[in-house]
Amino acid sequence: MTATGAGGAGLRVSRDSLFGYLLLTPAVALLALLIVYPLILALILSLTPGRFLNPATAPPGLSLEHYRRVLFSIQAWGDLLRSFLYVFGSIAPAFLTGLGLALLFRQPFRGRRWLRTTVLLPWAVPGVAASTVFLWMFDASFGIVNKILLGLGLLAAPIAWLADTRTVMAAVIAPTAWKLFPLFTMVFMAALQAIPLELYEAARVDGASIGAQFRHVTWPGLRVSAYIVTLIAFLGVFREFDFIFPLTSGGPGRSTMTLAIDIFLQAFQYSDLGYAAALGIFSLVVATVAVLVTTRAMRRSTA
Amino acid sequence: MKLKSRSTVKGLRIAACVGVTVALVFPLYWMLVTAVRPTRDLLTMDLSIIPSTITLDGFAALFKYNPVTSWLRVSTVLSLGSASISLLISIFAGYSLSRFTGRGHQVMGLALLLSRMLPGSLLVVPFYVIFLRLGLIDNVLSVVLVDTVFIVPFATWLLKGFFDGIPRELEEAAWVDGAGRIRALTSVILPLSAPGIAAAATYSTIFGWGDFLFARTLLTTDRNWPVTVGIVSFIGDNGTDWNSIMGMGLIAVLPMMVLFILAERHLIAGLTAGGVKG
Repeated sequence: MTATGAGGAGLRVSRDSLFGYLLLTPAVALLALLIVYPLILALILSLTPGRFLNPATAPPGLSLEHYRRVLFSIQAWGDLLRSFLYVFGSIAPAFLTGLGLALLFRQPFRGRRWLRTTVLLPWAVPGVAASTVFLWMFDASFGIVNKILLGLGLLAAPIAWLADTRTVMAAVIAPTAWKLFPLFTMVFMAALQAIPLELYEAARVDGASIGAQFRHVTWPGLRVSAYIVTLIAFLGVFREFDFIFPLTSGGPGRSTMTLAIDIFLQAFQYSDLGYAAALGIFSLVVATVAVLVTTRAMRRSTA
Repeated sequence: MKLKSRSTVKGLRIAACVGVTVALVFPLYWMLVTAVRPTRDLLTMDLSIIPSTITLDGFAALFKYNPVTSWLRVSTVLSLGSASISLLISIFAGYSLSRFTGRGHQVMGLALLLSRMLPGSLLVVPFYVIFLRLGLIDNVLSVVLVDTVFIVPFATWLLKGFFDGIPRELEEAAWVDGAGRIRALTSVILPLSAPGIAAAATYSTIFGWGDFLFARTLLTTDRNWPVTVGIVSFIGDNGTDWNSIMGMGLIAVLPMMVLFILAERHLIAGLTAGGVKG
């Protein structure tokens, strides 16, 4: 479906391609000014010695002290570990819920459109708004979660979900996964529409069970979309800020301190822009390596 | 007999759809119910699923004691401002990437794709320094620009997907009729890709409206905050007033819910066409 080059005489083509570049200019300018330049600036800040909030007041010279602190202290590696825990803890339930819903909603029934729109609503909810409602639901004394679990006899005493180091990670994952699952649902719904129904008929004729139909017809049709949406979700949750920051600010202790939260706190709470920038570059490198490794693995398994 | 069991299965599936949907939207319902409950219910821990009395007093107090109108204005400027700028840029760029496939275009397409990988949490540090130097801290324009940067790569690829699906012959027919390239774009391509533009516009607006990180970093005075920063400022305030927080949450959620309901059909089509395929 991709467009072929403009046909016709050579003169036409070159005038056309000038027009093509002209249309692209605003996007290029935006990217250069607000992505490339900030990246370079982040690199410079990360190499500027000392602790500063305004680089104008920083001591002159270059130094690797911030990187030394990132690489040789337990803190940044702990942040990284918790970031991965948070990312996969959020993606796994969102993926399964998204897939389950897409399959459930596949066959038409009366009112399906409305129900589908309703179930996808969390996607439109601002992250911090989702955080506040989960903060309320997880409240130790008034929260509905404790109330329901106590009522069902699943809990003997109320839990302070966001203050207990054993439950806090799950409690920040809950709103993250809740906002994330509709993305998976939408992508899987779109991908399911593209699978020809004849394939199922053929499979049924061959006597394939529901499970076998899923394995041999549905899943092959979803695989590529599943990979891409998981990748997008990985990058999104890896930099996610809107849930942990309002809920715990990384606490209690450092139990929910991810790289994204630490970068912000180091910069704007401890006025240590240089260290924050070094942490940022560290997280960029980690994300890039993770994407490259999985892309390669994915390519190899489809080839 | 066979028919009956098939209709039972269908009934069970519909019941499952309804059940899962109710469970998953429960947090939104709980937000609504808490916002319209009288404060005394919260004090006496009367937390029945259906409130005995419904009142809008909470909202009146919200508007009275907080600059909620300013917050709503800032959120509107932010989301519509970044959405319109990024749509303009992305329509041009997406069309260009769809119709021109030279080396330069391939590189640019890849650069746009890669820029989606950048963590916003990394860029927040240099952004702060840049806008500090420009004197744009506490100026909504800074957040509009930053949000635009994050919207353009996604919107461009989404729109490129839509433009790819429109046959070139339609444009060429317009050229033959004497229309220029720009005219062909505005009068042939744009009307045909209305669903894609609707999807991109919805995505952009929801992104700008929901932004918290950049607004929290770049806007310092409370009157200049959007609703997202406003809500979070309530947390921990004198014993956490749930009535107000949920009211504020509802104010932040409702406009986006309406927008989503209106545009949902196009969003799925948009994801099919380009959003994830790219």
